[in-house]
Amino acid sequence: MPSFALSLVVFLPLAGAVLVMLLPRGEGGQHKGVALVTSLVTLAASLPLWLDFHPAGKYAFEQKAEWAPALGISYHIGLDGVALLLVMLTTFLGPIVILSSWKSIQSRVKEYCVALLVLETAMLGTLAALDLVLFYVFWEAMLIPMYLLIGVWGSERRIYAAVKFFLFTFVGSVLMLLAIFWLWSNSGPAGARTFDYVTILSQGALPAEKQKWLFLAFALAFAIKVPIFPLHTWLPDAHTEAPAAGSILLAGVMLKMGTFGFIRYAMPLFPHAAKEWAPVIGVLGVIGIVYGSFMCMAQTDLKRLIAYSSVAHLGFVMLGLSALTVEAASGAVLQMVNHGISTGALFLMIGYLYERTHTRDLAAYGGLARVAPALAAVFVVITLSSIGLPGTNGFVGEFLILIGTFTARGLGTWQIGSFEFGKGVTLSVIGATGVILGAVYMLWMVQRVFFGPMRKAAQHGVPDLTVREWATVIPLLVAIVWIGAYPQPLLNVIKAPVDDFVQRVARPDGPRVRQLRQRGEAPPRGGEAPIQFLPPAKMAQPQPGLEGR
Amino acid sequence: MEVSWLHLVPLLPLAGAAVCGLAGKWLPKGWLYAVALTSVLLSFLIGVTAFSRLEGENPQFHELVYNWFAVGALHVDFGLTLDRLSGTLVLVITGVGFLIHLYSAAYIDDDPGYWRYFAYLNLFVAAMLTLVLGDNLVAMFVGWEGVGLCSYLLIGFWFDDDAKAYAGRKAFVVNRIGDFGFLIGIFVLFAATGSVNFAQINLAPLSLGLASAAAALLFLGACGKSAQLPLYIWLPDAMAGPTPVSALIHAATMVTAGVYMVARLSHVYVSAPGVMAVVAVVGCLTALWGALIGTAQNDIKKVLAYSTVSQLGFMFIGVGVGAFFAGTMHLVTHAFFKACLFLGSGAVIHGLSGEQDMTRMGGLRKYMPHTRATFAIATIAITGVLPLSGFFSKDEILAQAWHTRAFDFLTLTPGGEGHLTWLGPLIYAVGTLTAGITSFYMWRCYLVTFEGEFRGGADVHPHESPWPMTAPLWILAALSIVALVLGLPEPWARALHLEDLSWERFTEGSFAQVRGGPPRGGNLLLGFGIAWVVALIGGLTAWTLYKPGTAMAGDERFARTAPGLHRAFVNKLYVDEFYGWLILRPTWRFARGLWRWADSTLIDGLFVNGAAQLVESVASGARRFQNGNVQRYAAVLAVGVAALVVVFLVRG
Repeated sequence: MPSFALSLVVFLPLAGAVLVMLLPRGEGGQHKGVALVTSLVTLAASLPLWLDFHPAGKYAFEQKAEWAPALGISYHIGLDGVALLLVMLTTFLGPIVILSSWKSIQSRVKEYCVALLVLETAMLGTLAALDLVLFYVFWEAMLIPMYLLIGVWGSERRIYAAVKFFLFTFVGSVLMLLAIFWLWSNSGPAGARTFDYVTILSQGALPAEKQKWLFLAFALAFAIKVPIFPLHTWLPDAHTEAPAAGSILLAGVMLKMGTFGFIRYAMPLFPHAAKEWAPVIGVLGVIGIVYGSFMCMAQTDLKRLIAYSSVAHLGFVMLGLSALTVEAASGAVLQMVNHGISTGALFLMIGYLYERTHTRDLAAYGGLARVAPALAAVFVVITLSSIGLPGTNGFVGEFLILIGTFTARGLGTWQIGSFEFGKGVTLSVIGATGVILGAVYMLWMVQRVFFGPMRKAAQHGVPDLTVREWATVIPLLVAIVWIGAYPQPLLNVIKAPVDDFVQRVARPDGPRVRQLRQRGEAPPRGGEAPIQFLPPAKMAQPQPGLEGR
Repeated sequence: MEVSWLHLVPLLPLAGAAVCGLAGKWLPKGWLYAVALTSVLLSFLIGVTAFSRLEGENPQFHELVYNWFAVGALHVDFGLTLDRLSGTLVLVITGVGFLIHLYSAAYIDDDPGYWRYFAYLNLFVAAMLTLVLGDNLVAMFVGWEGVGLCSYLLIGFWFDDDAKAYAGRKAFVVNRIGDFGFLIGIFVLFAATGSVNFAQINLAPLSLGLASAAAALLFLGACGKSAQLPLYIWLPDAMAGPTPVSALIHAATMVTAGVYMVARLSHVYVSAPGVMAVVAVVGCLTALWGALIGTAQNDIKKVLAYSTVSQLGFMFIGVGVGAFFAGTMHLVTHAFFKACLFLGSGAVIHGLSGEQDMTRMGGLRKYMPHTRATFAIATIAITGVLPLSGFFSKDEILAQAWHTRAFDFLTLTPGGEGHLTWLGPLIYAVGTLTAGITSFYMWRCYLVTFEGEFRGGADVHPHESPWPMTAPLWILAALSIVALVLGLPEPWARALHLEDLSWERFTEGSFAQVRGGPPRGGNLLLGFGIAWVVALIGGLTAWTLYKPGTAMAGDERFARTAPGLHRAFVNKLYVDEFYGWLILRPTWRFARGLWRWADSTLIDGLFVNGAAQLVESVASGARRFQNGNVQRYAAVLAVGVAALVVVFLVRG
């Protein structure tokens, strides 16, 4: 395995984008063809990553090169098990996304393909980055193509949705950038400061009292992306207006960047704060599950319904991360992948429905199972995966999250009157109502669309799945059944990083951290006072001891 | 004993389902039937072979198919166990299942969706086998939700009809409420014992609190799957599915899963006497509830559906009073006679071109001799006017209820007893009353369907069904009779040299014993005498009201005598309306309100767009300061300088 194997995967889509740009404008499908081949090649190039994943240390396929040594910025990439799974998910969805828009996108095809490919590189880079600046660059780079996808190829209210999407995520990121600078300024004496994530993490946890605002700055950026209630309102608009491919990538990969941020950055970097805030995250996760489900029940727009169901599903993920047990965190990571597959697939199918009927209005649908039985059958299978039926992928993730949360003793208890409730037990029980509510809204939607008498949407006939569409659907169905029946390979891959995450956050002062200190791997911090403009005034207040160090 | 072939039992029907579902549309019909029937038959044969080789004290075959997933302390394996209890159920599922597959081949032949039907049916058998064979709670849950899925698909089989699709969805959602309890119950047991395997759980010492919590939560699951109060409401609606489905899923097998689960976890339940009392009381109330509603239904399938609800209640009385063998014995005998009744009703419906209303039946004995005879045998079995299988199993339950000590909290501490001792006899009394009502509504059903004159239209030509439908009827009717050997009282069995077939003795090592010892024996003949008299009274009441030749006049008499009661029974005690008013409509209204007010108005409107507007208005205000007018800049500058000068002067 060459040292640039991971770089190759990350930048192949970008190379494809350049190639598409060089092609002459005009119709004929050459742009889509190049884009499809590029995404297939990227997928093929990523397969060795999966097959040869034997990390010697924490990260496999590590590559490090100087970028701006004076500032301590380097091109440092690598994968742990969690990032690997999400990289595989991204390259897996790539060709599906391009194939799915083969027919529906007919204007500005060249730009569309470029945007999709650039987006893929940005997402892969975000996952692979091990340098905070590199991470941030890729993180922000995701925004632009997605902004364009929504704003140019979206439906009626696309401009509103695109601007909302951009502003929301951008506002969150800015605070994270400030926190990144703070970390840098604190990472060593002037001249030896670094943005390197691995180095900063190995320095051990910051003093507990300094972590809070940094944690919140990171958490806000990620929480918006997840999105966590009540920061979710950009999502339904973005999903509803985005073209199908945009929705698939948004739900399939991009939302996971938020949860990935939590498990990779926000929580391990600031373990004391993360542990303190874990019950809050858990509560917000549970609110997401219940609230998101109720939102679904009130929708009349097919895409908006699925968008809200993402809020509920990502609530499960956040609940799993907050429990700080190995079972729940593993379930959370698995559920990230599951949500990418199931909800990605749902948006794919809704895209196909929309191509046929030109409406997203639930009231117009009905009886499609009669005219398009294969489409209906596929949709039902994906629905079952989405509501976590045992045997599909959704079950294993939800089950692990809920059982891991139920047995989480580290979260402590709530006192109401003379009754004491284990926080883990309470959160798990309330979260498990999502199992009921999920069935309520998803099966309601399925009946509305596919069963009963035929209504307006079917009046011009609804052709069944075409060969091209089958090609996009079959891999997803296989993944649904495979992960449902045999999830252990995935769980094995994420075992090491999840164990590490739980150790670090659940016991921030535990043996592991102390060991690091004793071995001297956690060098004394910052010889001089950090630069004054950081942290910002708002943040400086709760950290009075800063200059004194 | 560890074996390597047990996975074939559920795998064969699963493979059958895959073939029927993926290729069924293109396969010739005969091949498709061959695949669907053979797969179940082979499973049955493997089951029989395995069952006949179960020997010794508490024997079992076990296979670890594969490690499903393992994270941290949690290890979930796909393991299967065939012991006497699960083995018997395998025989019932595949045996009755095969008969119903055979029956279906004739029943569903005209429907264009026949291939889909057999795919679902095979999938159901596979899921049900997983449910009973699974050696741990999670594997059982796979089957548990799997059968729920098949039930959903088959109830809504004719999905063009919104009402049928709704019935399927209702079944799934109500079951999910139960599954919620099941899931949390798994969590509690895992937290308490560190394992999800039955073997470990049934050995672990459990505190009263944890055992009660787990037992109660799991029983919520049983209430959903086995249609007990308050979650039984989906089962009558489930009759929207094809009738063989009602026979297999909604009478013989799936709905008994809750009883099986409680019996499987007998150790947990006997450790929780309070929950045992709840189980028995819920079973008792449900038995009465279903029987009462059953007296006034005119749809033949609805009568049988409420009868099933009621009979399941009897089974829960059995397991609730600690007589796990009696509850499971009734499960087996009920599978035979109720499947026979449902298939009989299916033959009637088939013979009358889809008619389900008993007011337009009558006199069918002339046209359908086989159906009529088998229906009568099964009716005798369920009502107990002659001692067929149902008589013994039901009576065993009631006798055990009379003597039970399962609710006695104090038996947990040695030396003490005396709690809730009145409850057992009360359950016995209500159960006996219910048995009388059962006799009434079942004979009513039989009389108005098969006796008297035909009341259907002149264009309906009742006819007997072909042999693939009548053969299963006869086999099931025979089983309803033969199965009586399972429940023969011990002295009789010994006299007939049949004591080896006694279900109580056969399952001796399978269940935990109620602490404080087994119930004391009572006066056998007195119990039988009472049961018989009650059954006769019920049957004779039905005969007086619905004598051949009087058509449905009995209904009118009932309505005249007690109009309020009759209306309440006809309208199923208004439970659906009540739930609609209490839960459904408020929930959907709450969802819409929450979306409109919390999400759209408050969060998105006030906070998000409000903030955006604030920024915009500040910006547009600020824009006025930069309008390129130099004079104004100069003026502002002058004012500013003046102000500064003033400030400095004032501060000195």
